[in-house]
Amino acid sequence: MRDLTEKALEVCSKEGATYADIRIVTIKDEDISIKNGTIQTLNIANIKGFGIRTISNGGLGFAGSYDVSAKEIGRMAKLAVRIAKASGATRKKPIVFVDEKPVEDSYKTPIKKDPFSIPSEEKIELLMEADKRLRAYNPDEIKMSRADYRGHQEDKVFASSEGAYITQQITFCGGGISCTAITQGEPPQTRSFPGSFRGNFSTKGYDYFESLKLLENADKTADEAIALTGAKHCPTEKTVLLLDGHQLMLQIHESCGHPTELDRVLGTEAAFAGTSFMTPEKLGKLMYGSEHVNMTSDCTLPGGLGTYGYDDEGVKAKRVDLVKNGLFVGYQSSRETAAIIGLKESSAGMRADNPQKLPLVRMTNINLEPGDWKRDEIIADTKKGILMSTNKSWSIDDKRLNFQFGTEIAWEIVDGEIGQILKNPTYTGITPEFWGGMDAHSKDDWKVLGTPNCGKGQPGQVMYVGHGCGTARFNNVRVGVMQEATSTIGVQ
Amino acid sequence: MVFNKDLLLEKAHFVLKQADKFGATQTEVTITSTTGALTRLANSIIDQNVAERHFRVSTIAYVGSQKGSTTVEVFDNESITSAVETAVKIAKISPENKDFKSLPEKQSYSDKVSLADLVSKNTIEATPEQRADFAKLAIVSAQAIDKRIKAVAGAVSHTTAERIILNNLGLEAYDRGTYGNINLTVLAEDGTEETAGWSADNRKDFSKLDIQTVAEKAARKAVDGFGMKFIDPGEYEVVLEPAAVAGFLFFINYFGFSAQSYQDYISFLRDKIGTKVFSEKLTLWDDAYDPRLENREIFDGEGVPKSKLEMIKDGVVKNLTYDTLTASKDSVQSTGHNAKFYGRSLPIAQHLLVGEGDSNLDEMIAETKNGILVTHFHYQNAVNPTKGVFTGLTRDGAWYIKNGEIQFPLKTLRYTDAAPRFLAEIDLVGKYMDLNDARALVPPMKLPSFKISGSSKE
Repeated sequence: MRDLTEKALEVCSKEGATYADIRIVTIKDEDISIKNGTIQTLNIANIKGFGIRTISNGGLGFAGSYDVSAKEIGRMAKLAVRIAKASGATRKKPIVFVDEKPVEDSYKTPIKKDPFSIPSEEKIELLMEADKRLRAYNPDEIKMSRADYRGHQEDKVFASSEGAYITQQITFCGGGISCTAITQGEPPQTRSFPGSFRGNFSTKGYDYFESLKLLENADKTADEAIALTGAKHCPTEKTVLLLDGHQLMLQIHESCGHPTELDRVLGTEAAFAGTSFMTPEKLGKLMYGSEHVNMTSDCTLPGGLGTYGYDDEGVKAKRVDLVKNGLFVGYQSSRETAAIIGLKESSAGMRADNPQKLPLVRMTNINLEPGDWKRDEIIADTKKGILMSTNKSWSIDDKRLNFQFGTEIAWEIVDGEIGQILKNPTYTGITPEFWGGMDAHSKDDWKVLGTPNCGKGQPGQVMYVGHGCGTARFNNVRVGVMQEATSTIGVQ
Repeated sequence: MVFNKDLLLEKAHFVLKQADKFGATQTEVTITSTTGALTRLANSIIDQNVAERHFRVSTIAYVGSQKGSTTVEVFDNESITSAVETAVKIAKISPENKDFKSLPEKQSYSDKVSLADLVSKNTIEATPEQRADFAKLAIVSAQAIDKRIKAVAGAVSHTTAERIILNNLGLEAYDRGTYGNINLTVLAEDGTEETAGWSADNRKDFSKLDIQTVAEKAARKAVDGFGMKFIDPGEYEVVLEPAAVAGFLFFINYFGFSAQSYQDYISFLRDKIGTKVFSEKLTLWDDAYDPRLENREIFDGEGVPKSKLEMIKDGVVKNLTYDTLTASKDSVQSTGHNAKFYGRSLPIAQHLLVGEGDSNLDEMIAETKNGILVTHFHYQNAVNPTKGVFTGLTRDGAWYIKNGEIQFPLKTLRYTDAAPRFLAEIDLVGKYMDLNDARALVPPMKLPSFKISGSSKE
């Protein structure tokens, strides 16, 4: 492989590049989906390719191809430099990177059971049984059942003109179940386990998927779906809101993860995903949340879906504070964006989802650090409120201020105890006001949850990211916004 | 990129032969070869600039009704053989799919569209320097509108692709295409507030993108955005520019009309086929052969030819979109709407047109007593798909209208409303506009009632 990376760097240098790096990547991905006792998807993907990034004439160029041959690498290296030169013509200042000591190293996700060493038959058997159990719980009312598995492994080589040469193998897997209940005269209700949108994922081996205990949780999942059909609607009011990890993770993702991506803050996404209210002049000044809010970007966290050894520009994984005791103190960054605002180092946040894609600042594991409470203590301490779980819908504005979420399920909390189930829960708020109202966060149910579905960039990329969190409590939150918006029109 | 149908055909036949050797009873292979390049603008400079080459081979193998599939980005026959062997191997261990009857039989394709109609030489030959020149033109054109223009952001891109689909029942489908796009968000600042404006254009011929008009339109919207105010949540009339209408269309298309959503009990149009759900002024259809669409594919992800499909006629829900599998479940024919994403597939319309009227934006504004004008929406999502309840936010230009006149620009507003409600009445439908800023062909519309549920000030 070194002969190919050296070839790329040599051609870039000859063509006039002042910096160059190359990633050669192989991706394996196994995707299994069962629906209503029928296999919908059993697909194995195998992607191979390379991407060359160069700086020339002060501008950045990138070119990638599926053909990992010396000839194609030479051709694309020349194209990358040509593109960089064209880019440089519009720049007022040349691109500058913060320093990073080049290393030769290797990293491998620590796993017990390699997901790709387990026969597909074994995974299918487990999923078929879980899917069957969901429907068997009540065949008259469970009309749709689903069970999903996904395993993913990337082998990457990174080499730079500065002398870095890093090999990595990143592995993750996971899955989940979900079902839809329909009872007479009621709209369908869906319930999922352990999370929505195909479950939960972790940079661990197949033993992680086994630990999810999908079979053991099928009855409870089906029972809750049926209970939801006859449940009371989430009321429309301002109240105390509790979010458990399966909704809190997306709240963190959308309202802290994306707005602290420094490329976005600096305008790179202005025409697509948007910008951010967390602009550089507010660094160290803005009270993002209450004193109980501590958020980090940490790509070293064991098992986190955003955990790796080095990012895609060769920066070693690290932990960075984003919010400390409520104060906005840091960004997720790259070598280029860190230099623009005068930071000393990158947060190691650059990743691409595919060898032929340009690395972007991507979330790693964005965590709400554990609080002092136990989950049960928070519930017991709440006189009246609503506990929501498991994301169903999400939307947030282009500066990441106004958000609205829907969840699969909610429960009333009355006098410190969990009460009846509520259906169609929704809530809305403004980011700093919402986090300013957080007065409790648990530690006993704190865990790192993962979603492989984070979209960003043009051309579009989908990245796998993690979020560590427990159960948190927020005061004075507007809930039941869907009922509020549709109650006058007969839509429930 | 040089088209090479013979190479794709050779590789596709190789896949079928290998699959047969490994024991598949039915096999479908899709090979796509794509070259794309995108120049991204931020802060009035080229911030990112990329080129990509892809060659993807997707194999679906059936052994009886057992299915396995592989998707690989490899080129050599040894790797392709390995992928085909894997597809057949996993098919053999897969449970039977009781909904599967057969892959599509051999098809014939309309001569209404030739391969030459689908591509532009100018797009195939586009260069990094040409993209950089377009980027510079966009920056200069926007900045010339007003000295308060702060930043030009967006992307200029072009893609060239060819695709072949073969199955062992004799189906052979080949097409190619080119596509060019510019989308710009222009930011303006006057020392007290920052505003934004947006515009876009899509063309088969990259060189025909109307860069200057897009840049000027986006810049004018930004400049017209100073003095933004909030309005209270509630019901308002709304004037939707084409891109705002197109924003709804995706959700109505996927959650309403896809047979998969319907069969999965998600669709808000369940049991509504043949029923008048929308205003009689709303007509929606899918037609890949309409020459006014810039990006067309003449067959779907299974090689089934496209045909014109009525979806809404004078407000009445007419037809769902089907692929082979969903059609067999409902004992109907595929409508040619299969789309595949990494081994997963579903039916969805991709060549949408909404019938035009004879109005225009000026008339719609003049007819509005208490309403808002929306450029487009951001981050829309389904809140309750079974009832067609969606949410989203205004972006890059929205204005309050009172008694027929624009009063002031608006800060970001959120809507949460049900499509069967807000499209039950339509006051005016406009003519198609000059810029093709959505991938569907959509006119502007004025609706009498639209529910604003919040804003960036709660």
